[in-house]
Amino acid sequence: MASQVKLRQVDDYRWEIPREGKMRTRGLIFTSQKMMAKIQEDQSLQQVANVATLPGIEGASLAMPDIHWGYGFPIGGVAAFNLDEGVVSPGGVGYDINCGVRLLRTNLQRLEVEPRIEELVNALFSNIPSGLGSRRKDLKLTVPTLHQVMRLGAGWAVKNGYGHSQDLEHIEARGQIPGADPELVSDFAKNRGKDQLGTLGSGNHFVEVGYVLEVYDAKLAAALGLHKDQVTVIVHTGSRGLGHQVCDDYIKVMLKASAKYGIELPDRQLCCAPLSSPEGQRYLGAMAAAANFAFANRQMITHWVRESFEQVLQMGPKDLGLELVYDVAHNIAKMEEHLVNGKKKKLCVHRKGATRAFPPGHPETPAAYQQTGQPVLIPGDMGRYSFVLVGTEQALTETFGSTCHGAGREMSRHAALKVAKGRNIVRELAAQGIVVRGAGRATVDEEIPEAYKDVEAVVAVAHGAGISKKVAKLKPLGVIKG
Amino acid sequence: MKPAASRRKRKEKYRQIAHTADLGLRIWGDSREELFENAGAALTAVLTDRRRLRRQKTAEILLVAPDLEALLVAWLNYLLYLYDVDAFLGREFKVLELTPQRLAARARGETYDPDRHVSRTAVKAATYHHLEIAKRNGRWQATVILDL
Repeated sequence: MASQVKLRQVDDYRWEIPREGKMRTRGLIFTSQKMMAKIQEDQSLQQVANVATLPGIEGASLAMPDIHWGYGFPIGGVAAFNLDEGVVSPGGVGYDINCGVRLLRTNLQRLEVEPRIEELVNALFSNIPSGLGSRRKDLKLTVPTLHQVMRLGAGWAVKNGYGHSQDLEHIEARGQIPGADPELVSDFAKNRGKDQLGTLGSGNHFVEVGYVLEVYDAKLAAALGLHKDQVTVIVHTGSRGLGHQVCDDYIKVMLKASAKYGIELPDRQLCCAPLSSPEGQRYLGAMAAAANFAFANRQMITHWVRESFEQVLQMGPKDLGLELVYDVAHNIAKMEEHLVNGKKKKLCVHRKGATRAFPPGHPETPAAYQQTGQPVLIPGDMGRYSFVLVGTEQALTETFGSTCHGAGREMSRHAALKVAKGRNIVRELAAQGIVVRGAGRATVDEEIPEAYKDVEAVVAVAHGAGISKKVAKLKPLGVIKG
Repeated sequence: MKPAASRRKRKEKYRQIAHTADLGLRIWGDSREELFENAGAALTAVLTDRRRLRRQKTAEILLVAPDLEALLVAWLNYLLYLYDVDAFLGREFKVLELTPQRLAARARGETYDPDRHVSRTAVKAATYHHLEIAKRNGRWQATVILDL
């Protein structure tokens, strides 16, 4: 299904969908000529135009270079809404509320870890439940505890012995979105969440041990505590079944609310409610609760990552130096202040498959990164590489401080399975020096590197357009997949 | 269309359709009841090999929704809920009562066991995106996009 949307190239990295019909603003897509050809093959541009029809949208309906066809909002979509007429949409956040990425650095060099990587991957695999419907048998939360998790986020995990208080200084919003109200989360959602805290889940979620392959900016890298050949760990997961249920519950609420407030929808999945309405406020409270659950989830997994390293390498925490570089959310709606036509305005910024990229000196950039800008973590596919970038002033003015979030799929899962058929992907990756353990063969096959856009091309656009700045490139050594 | 092809198509209960990041299901049924039963089977088939599931446990399900399409999404999402909470996967589905706003159904299957069952693709949710139920050539046909 090819896209029928009108398109105008602005420069090497920017394309515009002119305002037309029911659109209230233009669409602006950050990509390259080469990637645009692929984007036009599906309906993601139509989705950018659809988002532009929603009430109270400020600036353009934005799409990051890893844009691909989602449901309702495109993946890689960013949209900001004002508090007067603007809306909040669960579909603009996605089912996996606060799906996100965190990066840990170590005091280890690649050569120290490479010979032990298989053991390390096995330890991670047995210490962190992963795969279809993964749950923890050792940790079933009571409702009052679950409420604490949803209120306090990563802070709850730290308070209960999972990690250190310094970790919190290196997490978006310190691992706790304000305004979380567990009472607004359904019992269904709580039932799904009670034994899923500290689990990886399935699909594209992973824990990856890698190393710094290349440094682009030595000064920035040093400020982030990164150097060539240093071993790193990436954790990618979200709010599990609890978040999925919150999204589903509130889509039902929003379908009714859209009709109630007379909001015309080009696609039911875009259903929303005014930010000022009780429905909108309730969703924000429940979403924050789910987001905090996700922050706690990544924090607990970090604890087990540290334990796994200690077990296998027989080293103490000081020698390992497994410290948090940063943790970013890439499926979230945040209340933020931005300059609109020279005036400070409070907005609700939806980032669905997009990462915040705040510049140096911004009050929400953590103290440790006031000079560098907020770290941005872009995982690639399991065979190639991932990137560390920092936020920029350009992002703040052009994209409400947002950038890409990953490689973005290029191939459907079906096509990926077809390509993987008859091949042993685990062995192929092993031959390249990457040890992969997945709970299911299908997950590994669906996630073959060829199924993804080359994350290097995605990052090149973000860097070239100036909405973030390249710092380092990481290469995987071992991966556990859900 | 050739007779042979149309006969094959008549028997078809569901098919997976490609979608870049996610997965679509096209489901058919001679009645709306059968459409919902086949939808349950289609979802289980995404998650695991349905034939390896035994009929050991029964789940009774009662759902309400504003319309038939929303009811289909609610049905699939409830089955995902049962899977998340009890690791229950249905092999066979029986619709006991169906109106555009109400569904009573029974699912028979068993608890997922990673040692015996195949782990296929994890599903986060059934979505309302491009959701459609329509009668085509005398059969009911539904399209649902799953978020993976």
